[in-house]
Amino acid sequence: MPQPLEGTFSADHSARLLRNYRYVVERTMRALGGWIALTPELSAKLLMGRHVWDLAQHCDSFGRRLPELRAHAHVSEAANPAVAAFMDCLEEPEGPDQTVERLVGVYSVLNPHLLATYRDHLSRANPVYEPPTRRILVRCIDDEERHIAAGDTILRHLTGAPSAEERAVSRQRRLEELLVAAGGVTGEGLASHQAPEGEPLRADPSDDAREFIRLETATTAWPIHASLGDALRSFAEALVAGDEEALGRWLASGLVLGATPWTLIRGARYSGHRIVAFAKLGDQRLVKTRLDGPSNSAVVLVRWASAPGGWRVAALDVVARDARPA
Amino acid sequence: MDRPIAYDKLAREDRFVRMRAREVAELKVAQGLPPFPDLSSRESIKERVHGIMVGELQAMEGAGRTVCDFPDAPWEFTMDMARQVWDESRHVEIYLRLLEHLDGYAGEFPETTILWRCACAEDAAARVAGVNRGLEGLACDVFNQLVHIARRIGDPVLERAVDFVLADEITHVRMGSKWLTKLTEGDAERRRRAIEFQESIDERFNLGGVRREGDHDAVSISIATDVRRMAGFTEEEIDRLIKTTQRSQVY
Repeated sequence: MPQPLEGTFSADHSARLLRNYRYVVERTMRALGGWIALTPELSAKLLMGRHVWDLAQHCDSFGRRLPELRAHAHVSEAANPAVAAFMDCLEEPEGPDQTVERLVGVYSVLNPHLLATYRDHLSRANPVYEPPTRRILVRCIDDEERHIAAGDTILRHLTGAPSAEERAVSRQRRLEELLVAAGGVTGEGLASHQAPEGEPLRADPSDDAREFIRLETATTAWPIHASLGDALRSFAEALVAGDEEALGRWLASGLVLGATPWTLIRGARYSGHRIVAFAKLGDQRLVKTRLDGPSNSAVVLVRWASAPGGWRVAALDVVARDARPA
Repeated sequence: MDRPIAYDKLAREDRFVRMRAREVAELKVAQGLPPFPDLSSRESIKERVHGIMVGELQAMEGAGRTVCDFPDAPWEFTMDMARQVWDESRHVEIYLRLLEHLDGYAGEFPETTILWRCACAEDAAARVAGVNRGLEGLACDVFNQLVHIARRIGDPVLERAVDFVLADEITHVRMGSKWLTKLTEGDAERRRRAIEFQESIDERFNLGGVRREGDHDAVSISIATDVRRMAGFTEEEIDRLIKTTQRSQVY
């Protein structure tokens, strides 16, 4: 049975859609690239790092297709100012504690919308005279399915705490409102093309988000020798208690507590401590201890050196202070 | 979005301890240790692999910033940098897995941000000269040597994995050479500044005489002359690098 020759839109319209897609995908690609350095969590960094290149290839395919549709190559165009406003908002969160906000914008709002839009476009692109566009869309759909599945996995990992979940929901709601106001990335309204029934989004072994999480969480215990472990515990308890006399007993000769950044957190109230980093520097050890209190938290970095009388603090620094509870 | 960002905005999980490279070297020398892991033991190889892992992390972050920071650069430039982000993200995963293979963990040694600082150059031409030719050139030296050492100690996992990463690094150097030329076409002054920046990075990463011409087993970082030729460095550039390593001061 021959394919129908009836088409649903013109070459000019097809070119406009590709420019609209290219606009949001290019901005997303650049945002993801820029966010990698601003994002602390390794799993999220790897996720973004994997997807920048896929999105660049999507942009490239759209851009190369344009001259074949009597348009200028590699041109991006926002469908309307509201789409630009949506993208401005999506790019906004740059703080180290806003990874969830960044990922929600891309993986919970934009990508599912793009997936539905591409599917809708594919269903309407004529198979006789638009195979070049259809092939591009098929590739993009395939990638978006993988991206959404991977993003969802990382987001579930990062939104374990109720407060993070609330932030995610609030962020998603705000961006979805903007997207609706823009009429979607094409300005023509939101496509509702869903995956065929029973077909789950596919992950890919080469960018398995579960592996990114495993790599992030693989270290479950620090290899701390018992003699040092006792010293670390005692010192951390003295930090929490603000007991300067006890702290002083652990200092190497020549080090004066009052001359260290300890003075920055002196007087703050803490109720608990935990080691968050344990590194080697030759025979010395670098230990980061997080102190948490009702209204403050701080991270103290101590360099421990082995001396004839046991482990002693050779240097102390306060590397982070936060006014909020952990 | 802020473009470019201040270098101190580089975000890390708490488990990483960040220190100045000079301070790390000085504290090791004070303990009678070499300032840079010399590959003489499995522990030393692990420390080198950890250093490479954080280097790959910063390379991924740097390439990502280049994609973000230069929206007006030629599209093909963005494509190459986006490809590099993908490569570096796979390298991070490879080196994290190699650390596990060597019974190590992320954060086991302090992280220095000297590489990231180099990736923060404000001019795109300087950035590709410094990162893709200076730092990726260093990566060619380090990885080539690591492949050799892995072969010698009979570690096929390390040998194979690093061999493939080395192939990517050669491609990144080629990208750097291409874009250094294209971005500075008709602007001799910009080219001069970019090359000067690269040379300052080469000098810095001679690590006070640690990188030298010599046998893989005899020097801490051996200059990979053959690999550098393959990556497109000229004989003149290789000779100049060797000469600068001879005059670099020891820590």
